[in-house]
Amino acid sequence: MGQNPAPNQRLIEYTVDRVLDETNTDTKILVLARKDGQPDSFPIWIGAAEGHAIKLALDTTLTPRPMSHDLIKGFMEHLNVSVRRVVIGDVKNSTYYATVFLENNGVERTVDARPSDAISLALRTRAPLYVTEDVVARRNTANLESWLAKQDVKTSSKQQEVRES
Amino acid sequence: MITQMHLKGLMFDPYNNAYIVVLRDEDGHEMLPIWVGKAEAGAISMALENVAPPRPMTHDFMKSILDAYDAKVISVVITDLNENTYFAKIHLMYQDSEYTVDARPSDAIALALRSNAPVFAKESVLNKQSSEELEQWLENLKPEDFGKLDS
Repeated sequence: MGQNPAPNQRLIEYTVDRVLDETNTDTKILVLARKDGQPDSFPIWIGAAEGHAIKLALDTTLTPRPMSHDLIKGFMEHLNVSVRRVVIGDVKNSTYYATVFLENNGVERTVDARPSDAISLALRTRAPLYVTEDVVARRNTANLESWLAKQDVKTSSKQQEVRES
Repeated sequence: MITQMHLKGLMFDPYNNAYIVVLRDEDGHEMLPIWVGKAEAGAISMALENVAPPRPMTHDFMKSILDAYDAKVISVVITDLNENTYFAKIHLMYQDSEYTVDARPSDAIALALRSNAPVFAKESVLNKQSSEELEQWLENLKPEDFGKLDS
């Protein structure tokens, strides 16, 4: 069971902007953007497999067999459980904590999750994603802007290569 | 006909850069190798070795959702192997009804291990996959091919 973020905690809605490759490591960077369009990039470092699962959902790629989060969605459809929302409600030692809010016939449950799993499921179930104001204030975005700028150059040159080959 | 299978191990397959989940029946007559990806192998290995990760991994999360509504995994059946694509069914019990959900064997096995649910294989799957093939393959393996899961 996940711990509920304090009820008086203001929530800010985010969307998944993109998943970036972190060069030289086995990690990816999940970049969230504010739903209301205010310029703000919220990066979360995640594993390669987790990044892949999110990318599949972002690109609405159909896989021949159900991937792990498709299976979770399949279970929920059978049990008539829906995802109401996902809230990233805590950060400790650079680790973000997410809570998935579920509902079935008026019975609400919360489940503790890594943001990558929670978001993978939220994308597949079209559930909204929120970050508490407190976490937005406490996150670490050091150097992200310069890092992103560097990445943009790399991404566009990579696309160039693809086009030319 | 279905046969109960036990997880015998997990190996690295250097030729395909993948992992093999080896299932075997009670008396060792039937062997069923299932090729899985690295992440899937990791999910199975964590459950096999009873490793408690600091944060819930994907299949722990999957189980938490089932637990939240008291849905139980009764069993898992490997139903078909078709041109390297494997099919499994997960049987769930929820509010006195049984549900059958289509899954990849890797997800099904990772979840079965976390739910203490038995894993079965259909006879047709076992017949299709002759264990001779696997034994031959095993003979060609070098000792250094084992135990690479952590790399």
